[in-house]
Order: sequence, then C-alpha cells, then structure tokens
Amino acid sequence: MKLSLALILLLPLSGGLFNALAGSRLPRKAGEAVACAAIWGAFACSVLTFIAFSAPVTIEYASWLSDFDFKAPIALRLDQLSLSLTIMITFVCGLIHLYSVGYMKDDPSPSRYFALLNIFVFAMLTLILAENLPLLYLGWEGVGFCSYALIGFWYSDEKNATAGRKAFIVTRVGDTALGIAMVWMFQLFGTTAISELNGMGFLMPSGVITSLGVLLLIGAAGKSAQLPLSVWLPDAMAGPTPVSAQIHAATMVTAGVYLLARLSPLIGSSSTALGAIAVTGGVTALYAASCACVQRDLKRILAYSTISQIGYMVMGVGAGALTASTFHLLTHAFFKALLFLGAGCVITALHHEQDIFRMGGLKKRLPAVFWPFLAGSLCLAGFPGSSGYFSKDAILGATLERGGHLYGALFVIGLVTALLTAFYTFRMLFVVFYGESVHPMGAEGRSGIVADLHHLPPVMTLTLIPLALIALCGGFLDLPENFGGHGILGSFLAALPGFAPHAPASSATEFSLQIGAATISLIGFGLAWSRYTGPRRAESLRREEAGLPLADFLMNGWYLDQLYRVLFIRPYILLSRLLWKGIDEALIDGALNGLGRVTIRAGFVPAGWSTGRVATSLIALAGGAAAVLGYVVWWLP
Amino acid sequence: MIVPLEHILILAGVLFFAGMAGLVAWRANVIMMLVSIEIMLNAVMLVFVAGSARWGNADGQLFALFIMALTSAEVSLALAMVVYLHRRRKTVDTDLFNEMSG
Repeated sequence: MKLSLALILLLPLSGGLFNALAGSRLPRKAGEAVACAAIWGAFACSVLTFIAFSAPVTIEYASWLSDFDFKAPIALRLDQLSLSLTIMITFVCGLIHLYSVGYMKDDPSPSRYFALLNIFVFAMLTLILAENLPLLYLGWEGVGFCSYALIGFWYSDEKNATAGRKAFIVTRVGDTALGIAMVWMFQLFGTTAISELNGMGFLMPSGVITSLGVLLLIGAAGKSAQLPLSVWLPDAMAGPTPVSAQIHAATMVTAGVYLLARLSPLIGSSSTALGAIAVTGGVTALYAASCACVQRDLKRILAYSTISQIGYMVMGVGAGALTASTFHLLTHAFFKALLFLGAGCVITALHHEQDIFRMGGLKKRLPAVFWPFLAGSLCLAGFPGSSGYFSKDAILGATLERGGHLYGALFVIGLVTALLTAFYTFRMLFVVFYGESVHPMGAEGRSGIVADLHHLPPVMTLTLIPLALIALCGGFLDLPENFGGHGILGSFLAALPGFAPHAPASSATEFSLQIGAATISLIGFGLAWSRYTGPRRAESLRREEAGLPLADFLMNGWYLDQLYRVLFIRPYILLSRLLWKGIDEALIDGALNGLGRVTIRAGFVPAGWSTGRVATSLIALAGGAAAVLGYVVWWLP
Repeated sequence: MIVPLEHILILAGVLFFAGMAGLVAWRANVIMMLVSIEIMLNAVMLVFVAGSARWGNADGQLFALFIMALTSAEVSLALAMVVYLHRRRKTVDTDLFNEMSG
C-alpha cells in the first residue's frame, strides 16, 4: 500500500521529468509511450490501492518543512474521498493522454506537451492526496503553473499567451486568499494537518470560522472559476483541446470543490459560510448557463457549461451534501472529458473551425463522434437515466431538503439552470450535428458543403467509447433508492466526517423531484429540437446571427471582463503609468539627473584652476604652505 | 657655538624665501628654477647643520650629507630632462608646457 500509493505520485512525476529532460532527443513514439504508460501505471496503482484499502490511513514518507511547532511532512492521506478522486483522475487523464497522441501528432514539440501534461496530473494528485495544507498548496500551485503553461502552449500566438497569463493571474487572487487562510489556521490551531484541523472547528468562535470559510471560498472560486473569478475559464480555450478536457474534467477546476469538501467539517459549523458557498455556487451556475445559451464557439459553450456544473457542485457543498457533490464531480469528470474530446474530434475534422454556426450535418459524416457526443450531451443536460441526471438530482434534492428561504431560492435557481443547461446542450448538439453541412471552408456565406473532412486518427475516436459508456452508466454508482439502487458511492464515502447520509427524504418528495427534473430536461430538449432541427433551423440560425436582444450581454459573459477592465485593469494601468512616468521617470530619475548636472557644473569651477602650468601649482603650493605656516604660528595655541 | 642659532635660522629663512621667490618669479627659464630649488635646499641643509651643532648631535650633519647626494642626483636628472624638453620645443619657458590643463 505504501509503495503503490507513492507510485501513484511518482510515476506521473518521473514520466514528466523523463519527457522534459530526454523527450526531445528520443523518437516521438518513445516520449508518447512513456507519458501514457506513466499515467496508466498510476491508474493501475490506484486500483491496487483500492483493492487493498480497508480504512483511511495517513502515510508519512519524509519530513519536509519543520521548524519549532510547524511541521509539514511529505505525508499522504488516503481515505474514501481522495481514493475515489484518484481513480477517476488517473483513468480520465490516461484516456486524455492517449487521445493527445492522436491530437498532437503533427505538433512540433510533443515532449514539452507531454511533460507538462504528466506534471499536471502529478500536481493534481499531490493536491488530492496531501495530508497537510502546505503540501496541498504545493499541488495547488503546481496545477496553476501547468495550466498556465498548457493554456499558452502555442505561445507564439499572442492571444494564447495572454489567455495563459489571464488564467494564472486570476487564479492567483484566489490562491492568495487560500494562503492567508492556511497561515491563519496554523496560527489559530497550531497545525496544518487537514485531518486534525477538521476536528478542531468547535474551538473557535463562529465569526472566525466564517472568515476562514470565506477565505477558502475565494481560494476555491479562483481555481474552480466561480463567480467573481470565473473570467479566466472561457479564455482558457486557447490551449490544445485535450488540455481543456483535462482542465475541465479531471484536474484544476475540481480542485476548489475538493478543497471545500475536504475542509467542510471545519467550516461546516458556520451556517453563514455555508450560505455564502451555496449562494456563490448557485449564482455561478445560473450565470454560466445563461451565457452558454448564446455562445457560438463550440469550446466556449463547453467552458461555460463547466463553470455552471462546478457551480452546482459548490452549491451542493454549501448545502452540506458532500456525497452528492462528489458524485456530481465524478460523473461530470467523465461526461465533460467526453464532450471536450468529442469537440476536439469535430474541430480537427473541420480543419480547426470552432464556430458552431458554420457546422452542421455532421451526424452522418462523423457517426463515431456523434454517438459518444450524444451520450455526453445527455449527461450534461441531465436527461433522465443518464449519470448527470442522478448526480444533479442529488444536489438539487439536498438543497431542497435543507429548507429555509435561502436554500429554497437556490433550489429554484438550480431548476432554472437545469432548464437552461438542457436547452444549450441540445442547441449545441443539434446545431453541430443536424441540418445540412454548411461548413463553407473559408468561403463567404453558408453555401458549399465540406468535401473533405480531415481524417481523424482512430485513437481519438476510440477513447470516446469508454468515456461514453461510463458517462451513461455512471449513475449506477449512486442510484437513488426508489430506482432500486443502494448508494454504492454514498455508503463508501459515509465513513468520512461530514459525508454521513442525510435522513432520506420522503419517497414522495424524491419522486416528484425526479419527475420535475426529468420534465425540465425534456422541456429543454423540446425547445432546442423545435428551434434547431427541421424547417425552423435555418430561420433560428439566421435570427441568432443577426443578433437577439440580450445576446451581446450574454455573449460577453455579462460584461464581466469589461467590468474588471474598468474596475481593476484601467485604474491599475493608470496607477502604473503614474508610478512610471510621474514617480520613476520624473521624480527619481529627475532628482538623480539633476544631482548629476549640479555635480558636473560644480566640477567646472576647480577644473578652471588647473591650468596645467607648473607655475600655478607652485604658487598654490607656496600659498598653501604659507597658510599652514601662518596657522601654526598665529592661531595654534 | 660662536654664532647664535637665531641668526642662522634667520639667514636660512631669508635664503629659503629668496629661493621660493626666484622659483615662482623666474619661470621663463627652467634652469633658473632649478638654481632656486638648490638655494632652498641649501637653506634647509643650513638649518640641519645648525641644529646639529647646537645640540651636539651628528644626525643633522648626516642629513645634510644625504641631501647633498640627493641633490646631485636630482640635478643631473633634471638637467637631462631640460635638454630633452629643449630639443622638443626649442624653449625652456615652463608656461608654454601646459598640456595638462584641465
């Protein structure tokens, strides 16, 4: 167990180091094989660990930071939550690595790509398995760095590099809050071990716990792209598509939810903090879903859908439904990876076209992509029977159960979001895959039919199949009881503090909720079907292209970027200009240059005295000697 | 000692300032400046010898001998330089050598 747990971390790390150091000197195949083997090896180790797992353990490998009371050893915490996430991450990332082999087969620098991808996985696993906060923070920052480097992977294009920097800087805001929370927790409790912190919440007044909860929420919001800090994720589409899949599904954005779930026994005692978390999640879910309804870029739709789904998870954590949130996190990882990889197939096949209005009719031309993509869409939309349906339902049910006005309102927001989600998911599906092929291949207008689709490497379409199967059937992990399930995931996680199952809702409530969610999903499906297929498709597309009311507002993500531009970026630039032009150049440089000028002027005065003639020196010498002599004779006592 | 020390000091002072005046005033000719320096050095030697006689100590006479040796060396070097300067510029007026002006 100790060895296999260490190997889970060491294999991706050594794979990444191998590719970074030797990858460019070896044949392409070798680097790809090592990268994939490292992740699949880690997956095998996690399965072995799962088989050997009996109870939560903490394994200390080495001491790391140690000074007076402060101890942060390299220790890993293996419990039900970290184990289930580890298995999911290594599996999904393994498939993404395989897919990348096909997707990046013409890229000139595969070793850099695979090295970063492997280290990304390593950082995320460190974050998941860390026993103490400093180690978690190490993984947290590693994830941030790798996302920065991978979003800006094609850095020669200025736009991509800017997107990478934006992701890095925006998440940094959250990281700062997390850092403050971490130091403060050590100051309050004298320890940074997560399992110890979780048992100490009752020692502090609720105001302190609330502040800690809010700081952690800001940290999570940065990483998980929640509302005030969500702006980086839509731009993070600049990276290669498998990277987007990895960021959205398995690594990076789920880190915030994981952090909140991990520390929820600590912050759960403050209902204010929980309320703030739930409101952030709920509002973000609605916000992102509304934005996704009008987007035209295939990857941007998926990006907004991720923000929205993570919003659900955060709302679930806020409602105290940790099992439901974890359940949704797991199912979302599978179906979002599936959707992104499917979108990558579509985009590659269409020679890097991302505008869905220039796609269409791909159902017949790309059946190997269409069917998995349909499976992913059904899950995302919460179509009855799919995994997304059950996990979203669990969160909504828990929110409703919690009671009170706040959670009642959030429940309604969740339902509206579910409707919007179903609508935009099927809009995307129908616009891309139904209708006629209108991709004009660079020509103006919507005439012309794609004659030659780019050939897809089989590895790209084959990786979609296992993801599609798991995404569809993932609901069986935690089926509600009236579906004949007995909550495999729920009972697995139940031993953890905070994960204990709630008193089951009355079966009537649960049943009506399930019917309601199914109805909402079907209404969204029906709306999209009537608008984007059949005779009304052309009309709808034409009208959307002309611009709908509110469309600009939603298209630009509620003008959040512009708001930040006015609130932060412009004052910052003005301040920088003041400091640069006013303080640095005018004041500091001016003072120094002025001092230099005065010195030069002053230097000319004695320079005139040195005539270069011997006589001048002699007279000066004689005068000086006379002065010294006179002083000695008359003044010296 | 027959002559009082004060007289010798006065004579030495007169000689020294005469030499200095000649040095500053006669700068049109380097040779005359060298002569003036010799006079100043002689004034110094006189003080040494007088002091030596006054306190009955041979150190002052020793110094006078040293200064004589030093002076002969200095004069031979200086005259060589004067010859060189004269060859270069056909003049020995020190005011015309002002390449070192700041």
